[in-house]
Amino acid sequence: MNLRCWLALSVALSFCSFLGCDRGGVASKPVPAEKPSVAIGGGGAAPASSLSGKVDIQGSSTVEPISIKAKELFNAVHPKVEFSVSGQGTSNGFEALSKRECDICDASRSIKKEELERSKANSTQFIELPIAYDGLTVVVNKGNDWVKQLTVEQLKQIFREDFAVKTWKDIDASWPDQKISIYAPGIKSGTHDYFVEVIGKRDGKKLRSDEQTTLSEDDKQLAIGVKGDKYAIGFFGYSYYEAAKSELTAIAIVNPKSGEAVLPSPQSIETNNYAPLSRPLFWYINSESLQRAEVREFVDFAFENISKVVTEAGYVPLPSSVYSAVQAHIEKGLNGPHFFDTEGKERHGPLNETYVEANLVK
Amino acid sequence: MASGDFLDLSKLPQRSTVASQRWSSLMTIVLVVCSLISVLTTLGIIAMLVYEASGFFANDQIRLSRFFTDTKWTVGQTQGEIHYGILPLLSGTLRITAIAMLIALPLGVITAVYLSEFASKRVRSILKPALEVLAGIPTVVLGYFAMVFITPYVLQPLGDFKTFNAAAAGIAVGILCLPLVTSLAEDALRAVPRSLREGALGLGATRFETTVKVVLPAALSGIIAAFLLALARAIGETMVVALAAGSTPTWTLDPRLQSQTMAGYIVNTFQSESVVPGSLSYYSIYSVAAVLFVITFGITVLGQYIRRRFREVYN
Amino acid sequence: MAISNTLNRTRSVGSRKSFDRGFQIICLLVASLAIVILVMLVTAILFKGGGWLSWGFLVNSHRENLPEQSGVGQAIIGSLVVCLICGLAAMPIGIATAVFLEEYQPLSRLGRLLHGFIQLNVSNLAGVPSIVYGILGVTAFVYMFGWFGQIQANKPPPVEMGASYFYQTKTLGKKWVQFPASDRTKQVFVIESSLSAFNESGQPIELNVIDRSATAPTEPELRDRTVYAGATASILATKRPWYFHLPFSKSVLSAGLTLALVILPIVIIAAQEAIRAVPSSLREAAYGLGANKWQVVSTTVLPSALPGIMTGAILAMSRAIGEAAPLLAVMGGVISTTNSLGNLMDKSPVLPVTIYRWAQDENPAFENLAAAAIIVLLVFLLLMNSIAILVRNRAERKYA
Repeated sequence: MNLRCWLALSVALSFCSFLGCDRGGVASKPVPAEKPSVAIGGGGAAPASSLSGKVDIQGSSTVEPISIKAKELFNAVHPKVEFSVSGQGTSNGFEALSKRECDICDASRSIKKEELERSKANSTQFIELPIAYDGLTVVVNKGNDWVKQLTVEQLKQIFREDFAVKTWKDIDASWPDQKISIYAPGIKSGTHDYFVEVIGKRDGKKLRSDEQTTLSEDDKQLAIGVKGDKYAIGFFGYSYYEAAKSELTAIAIVNPKSGEAVLPSPQSIETNNYAPLSRPLFWYINSESLQRAEVREFVDFAFENISKVVTEAGYVPLPSSVYSAVQAHIEKGLNGPHFFDTEGKERHGPLNETYVEANLVK
Repeated sequence: MASGDFLDLSKLPQRSTVASQRWSSLMTIVLVVCSLISVLTTLGIIAMLVYEASGFFANDQIRLSRFFTDTKWTVGQTQGEIHYGILPLLSGTLRITAIAMLIALPLGVITAVYLSEFASKRVRSILKPALEVLAGIPTVVLGYFAMVFITPYVLQPLGDFKTFNAAAAGIAVGILCLPLVTSLAEDALRAVPRSLREGALGLGATRFETTVKVVLPAALSGIIAAFLLALARAIGETMVVALAAGSTPTWTLDPRLQSQTMAGYIVNTFQSESVVPGSLSYYSIYSVAAVLFVITFGITVLGQYIRRRFREVYN
Repeated sequence: MAISNTLNRTRSVGSRKSFDRGFQIICLLVASLAIVILVMLVTAILFKGGGWLSWGFLVNSHRENLPEQSGVGQAIIGSLVVCLICGLAAMPIGIATAVFLEEYQPLSRLGRLLHGFIQLNVSNLAGVPSIVYGILGVTAFVYMFGWFGQIQANKPPPVEMGASYFYQTKTLGKKWVQFPASDRTKQVFVIESSLSAFNESGQPIELNVIDRSATAPTEPELRDRTVYAGATASILATKRPWYFHLPFSKSVLSAGLTLALVILPIVIIAAQEAIRAVPSSLREAAYGLGANKWQVVSTTVLPSALPGIMTGAILAMSRAIGEAAPLLAVMGGVISTTNSLGNLMDKSPVLPVTIYRWAQDENPAFENLAAAAIIVLLVFLLLMNSIAILVRNRAERKYA
């Protein structure tokens, strides 16, 4: 084996790769990388803050883009604070929170009774903060031209384990006689839990899991799956649809109250017109961790700039009255859940009514 | 031979002193300890797999017989009734490995035949480096190639292949094993004594007849060893399947659907679980890894044994 | 004899010759398939990723949803550090094992059994899937079998070295000051009286503590070092470059050690072949001059086998730099860290894992970035292989 051969190969490889610059095709010419300018606080050359420390965020992959956006904006002002963000599912996040293995738990649903018990057993205290609205988006492949809207009944037929229709034709006779491929979040995902609550909880039914179904806690995998399969259908948080908008089609869901088919959009989610799949997203913060300067500063910073953080991450901000309540909770250090009453039954209703101090269960 | 280059007589001690003798004995012990580390690794793997996999089976919900006979694997995918049959994972592994061997074995053996029997020096100087480069390509790159190139441009024009399918992964694993099969088969073919070839040629056989009827049968056990070692490599392949084959175990023979192999399941679970020691998913990793290890280790042992036996026959 | 039997079958010489010709052509075509596949692979990767290579790409790190500003800077450093640790761990042990297996042929029955067992073990370990090594790495290095307990948030690790603890708090002027902590287990410190601290530029200052009811000072310099009595300061650990804790948990150290286990069999086999290639006349000459076993090995065998060992080691490292599966298990799918690698206990992205994560991103531009990262990885591999060949050629010249 010749040395010259190898050197020639290396040179050729490097040369070709710069030649490839012109052969664009799929890859567009990139903008030369610039350092992101300090966007918050009116710019200006302020000396680098010496706030240091480490913040560990785990949990929902739906809420992950919000945490990452908040982290990036925060690091522009406090570059020394280290973050570790991972999105392996709301249930996994609550597990880590109860064991005090993370500082903040991203959650796309509120805490469940069992998780509350576990935290109590571990003497872990947390503070519950709603952070944004999300519209759970049902997507199909761009080549799917037969589905214009779906009712909740039809969603039940497709996704529930007891109906579990095999082909598109089984739902509507005018649709193609092809097998449906389902891409859904896995059981550790809060999105999964929320969807199951909408379509099956009352009858005690769960999401299907058969050979036509792919489950994954990684929403990016689901997007790729639907993108590549003409007869696929899936669902995940609105932000992931936004990021892949050019490659996926969102389906309008018929609002059970008004009878109108509504597409998810910031307006329809905020007004709850996009029902029943609009839902709040949460941050659950370990109260012990909140005493640390870097965590407290991060949370304060996030909520001071919440509109920017949430909209840039692809979600919808909550009404300002809720955010004021959030600030009050942080100031006063009010631990505990809001969505159970003293007997342990669940509380439902719009956020600005349920998320009040009076509803705290200590 | 250049003298004095590395045997510097002035540096060599004139005789073995007591101190240097003691030093020599000490170094012997150090060397033995270092060698034992490799043994420790094997023992460590076995002990860890046995210990943790037993944790899986110690759970009340799990019964050993169902592990080997159930045709659904839903650990970590459903709450409530869990199916823990390893057959879907085995079938996924089998599908991908079969496709890989169908590609690697014939192509590899024929390439090896060409290299050892027919190739001119010029052809060899191009082909051998190409095979070495192919062997050195990391598995993530091949997985990427399968996902981004093989599935959309080669397979989907041919039929109804899903985004994640077993065929693309199988082809990529086959490309991965090709250099291995070629080099091992070539070794086996070269070990056949020239006298056998010359005898056949002397009796008037063509090169083709010599190869097919004399050399190949003589090198057969070496080629079988090559096949077994490549098989072990294909079974244990992780990154290609993680990228291209999908993450749902399926109990079917259709290569157009996605499939999850044992190795793929382990990697997918590490990614989607905050691996909580003590949970069922955590233990399931170890039990699947135990099956994987037993299979690959067994095949490797067999392959090495045949290879060594074969070498002795001709020496 | 089988040959003459089969050749006695009547077939024209012409047809047999054309068959032979055809067979040769088929063989050539099949053999060239390997080259065709290689060319297709490289072309596809170059086509997809070539346009995204730039100096910025090599220096930046991953930015979520901003492919134009993402790069492999951190991944390159991470890969180099992990490979360095891997090499430092695998080489001594691998060479020692090879020396033992080749030079120290035992005479006793037990010794021969041990020897054969170790040799068998090494050949079979080479066939173990890398993910199994990953699992071993998680159990042995990340969790350390649970011997040292688990690492929890808001608590210092069970065994720690090289960390100094401070308390940090925000002053009235919205600046951060730090002062040393005496008890690292206490998370929060209530400030009652004045103490000496360090300001943001690291200069020592005197912290001014005033009562809650008192009026706050107005000059910026005083405000920058004033706090109210009863203000809380929280704990902070600054880590030196030699920071170290047990259990290792997810860190580049665990990753490097796990990779060392993966390439150990390869290093041993390569070193064995290099040692075997040393002519026995050299050894016999050394023995003849009265050297004992270790002297023969250290002064004669190892120096002459060194080029071969180096070649084998570099090739093993080029295998290690491309391994993703064990690193996924041991370090997780890390794609970016806030600060670059400060000590051995940090996590870091590495090239193969970055390629894997980018290939799975739903943003289609990241797929192209993955191809660009693959090009960087392949260039590294080519460089390493070239160095290995250079070393081998120089050694061959010595023998010639």
